[in-house]
Amino acid sequence: MATEGKGFTRRRLLAGAGGGAAAGAAVGFLGGRAVSPAEASAADGLDLSKAYDFYTGDHQVGIATPPQRHLVFMSLDVVEGTTAEQLKVLFARWSAAMATMMKGNPVGSVEPSRSNGVPQDTGEAYDLSPASLTVTLGLGPGLFDDRFGLAGRGPKLLAEIPRLPADELKPELCGGDLALQACADDPQVAYHAIRDLIRIGRGLVTTRWTVLGFGRASAGKGQKTPRNLMGLKDGTRNITTDEDLDEFVWVADEDEPAWMRGGSYLVTRKINMDIEVWDGTTIDTQHVTIGRDKAEGAPLTGKKEFDTPDFKAVRDGEPVIDPTSHVALAASENNGGTKILRRGYNFTDGLNPLGQLDAGLFFIAFMKDPATFVDLQRKLGRVDLLNEYIAHVGSAIFAVPRAPKSGHFLAQELFG
Amino acid sequence: MSRKAISVAALTALCLTGLAACGSESDDSAAPKKKGASQVAVKLVSGSDGDVCELDTDTAAAGPVTFTVANESAAGVTEVELMDGQKILGEKENLAPGLPEVTFTLTLGGGDYEVYCPGAAEERIPFTVTGEAAAAPTGGTAELLAAGAKDYTGYVNTQLDAMVTGVENLRKAVDSGDVAAAQQAYADARPFYEKIESDVEGFVMEGFDPTDNKGNLDYLIDMRASNLDEAVGWSGFHAVERDLFEAKKITDQTKKYAADLVTNATLLAEIGKSLEFKPEDLANGAAALLEEVQSGKITGEEEAYSHIDLVDFANNVEGAQQAYAALRPGLEKIDAELVTTIDARFTAVIDDLEGYKDPEALGGYQPYTAELKASDGKKLSATVQSLQDVLGRLAEKAATA
Repeated sequence: MATEGKGFTRRRLLAGAGGGAAAGAAVGFLGGRAVSPAEASAADGLDLSKAYDFYTGDHQVGIATPPQRHLVFMSLDVVEGTTAEQLKVLFARWSAAMATMMKGNPVGSVEPSRSNGVPQDTGEAYDLSPASLTVTLGLGPGLFDDRFGLAGRGPKLLAEIPRLPADELKPELCGGDLALQACADDPQVAYHAIRDLIRIGRGLVTTRWTVLGFGRASAGKGQKTPRNLMGLKDGTRNITTDEDLDEFVWVADEDEPAWMRGGSYLVTRKINMDIEVWDGTTIDTQHVTIGRDKAEGAPLTGKKEFDTPDFKAVRDGEPVIDPTSHVALAASENNGGTKILRRGYNFTDGLNPLGQLDAGLFFIAFMKDPATFVDLQRKLGRVDLLNEYIAHVGSAIFAVPRAPKSGHFLAQELFG
Repeated sequence: MSRKAISVAALTALCLTGLAACGSESDDSAAPKKKGASQVAVKLVSGSDGDVCELDTDTAAAGPVTFTVANESAAGVTEVELMDGQKILGEKENLAPGLPEVTFTLTLGGGDYEVYCPGAAEERIPFTVTGEAAAAPTGGTAELLAAGAKDYTGYVNTQLDAMVTGVENLRKAVDSGDVAAAQQAYADARPFYEKIESDVEGFVMEGFDPTDNKGNLDYLIDMRASNLDEAVGWSGFHAVERDLFEAKKITDQTKKYAADLVTNATLLAEIGKSLEFKPEDLANGAAALLEEVQSGKITGEEEAYSHIDLVDFANNVEGAQQAYAALRPGLEKIDAELVTTIDARFTAVIDDLEGYKDPEALGGYQPYTAELKASDGKKLSATVQSLQDVLGRLAEKAATA
């Protein structure tokens, strides 16, 4: 990738970074952890009894909700021949089940009173707490093609993500007519939710691809910035304020269908990391690639994580933060002020055929206009230094309807 | 008891909101009538102590009663049933907040009933019908189901007899030493067992411990490589299959396998004559046959050497369809909606299978190769699972009718 033709500059830059801005971070690192583990877990306190309300009547949960520890994401296809009427009943059943499970209750009987009854709820979350479960529904572009009588009723910005530079997409990891995102602080609670929703939908939907995520890789409001599998803090400059959510995340456009207003667009990218290669790189290379140091997560022009990066800073005639570093390319100020809400998770699929760790980042982002992501990734895919160590293998987009009020279900007006 | 007061209040409310004809033929204490049927409104709402199943009246006059069920906000309740003791007389499923109200009408005789709302804080609400005991109300359902089960017993025996003939032909072909003829005879003999296997499993020969596969007829007839018990060894259909399709040789051992198969199949056919099936056995059997498809055929495990898994698949499905057909007249009375769903899902599976028919191929279906499994297994599995899930719900209904 971008290393050719820039070799000399790169070396000088590396030397500069190593001796300069990163030194501040090194001091912090040598001086011990900035936050002790005990403090960190207190700040991130886990309360498994916490339950969210499904019927917000406004935004679906699982978007602005501070990311829980675990994710199960399922992409589904709607079976050929399914009618809009059947989808309507499915969305109603799903909505009711999501609300019920988020309270920590089973969806129907685990122990039917009649001996010939089949348990309705599968039972593996029976004794577990709500664990902050949120289940979020997304509708893919395929739902609005000519198969189900819903053509022309889709959100106006919902379209397949175009092919982007550096894409190494595998069709079996892309797309889907519907998506279910379950997040919880107990992985079994999240898994149960997806399993039972699939079961309710059986005959109408089939599974397409899934990702099990762990160790959230983006910070929400009030959370300590977590780390991705590169060991880097991820989400330092993520959206956390209501103002930013209104400006960048929630759909408000009057031209959008009523059920989309208060909703959002969800983009997922399954990003494999070349873990072993990354682990063998020097700290200088890692700094330059990302534009931040590792332990503190400070921009190379600053000392603390939340210092604002200075992309204009120059040392020895070279920019301190490489313009092709990940941070420089992705920063809001270098992208016309736009932002996206990231809510990704680390994932692992075990080992690849070469015996290497098959793992990476399951990137999840919410935004009011999918073009924001497309423009950003077009740029990143072309020149991001990080591309040396990652590959985008999965991609999908979904429209996320507004949440219903009690007595209603998700995207109800779609069937109006 | 305050039933009368509740009913009057409910009736007043109905009059005020104009939901039902007021001052009609109904007496004061019971549900109002409309077009000759008593009207009962069942409302599902979310309350502070969980979901509530509310009836506007808990009594009606004998005769037709229409239950109108509206789920206003009870996310945890998705079905409502009217029960007479342990019998389900009528029900509505797939209820969820936001969906339009649904109705079901039953002809009820005088007596005590319950409205069953699984998932509600109080699941069983007493409901009383006053007047004559049922003359000829819904009682026919149980008889219909029982008649179906009886017919089905005959079907099972027909298949068992045909299996004995099939395996005798197989033995003859094996004894002749003609591998190609024996392969054909193998494929010809397979369907019968596959149609009924879940109805005739679990028999252990007298004098054997239930944990000893030597006396286990299922094992002796239909064991396969994946469940080989070294202590007993190869036996039955798949032992013959292995020799005919892998080694493609007939040895004395092959002949012994074929002869033993005749003996064991004959024994099973004898046992079959004493079998009696209850309606729920048919329902469980139908679901179990689909489970066989999912766990044995779509995996390609059953016919590891001959690859005629799709032949077995088709016959499992046909057997399930026979069992279902025997129950269908009765089930239609209990849950017509479910019957429609099951009909559609059988059609989906059969349509899928149609695409694999090949008159040239052994058994009439394409061989289920590793390539076919890789390309089509996911689709087949999804269609079968959708059918199996709904068939799994039949037994409870058949048993309680």
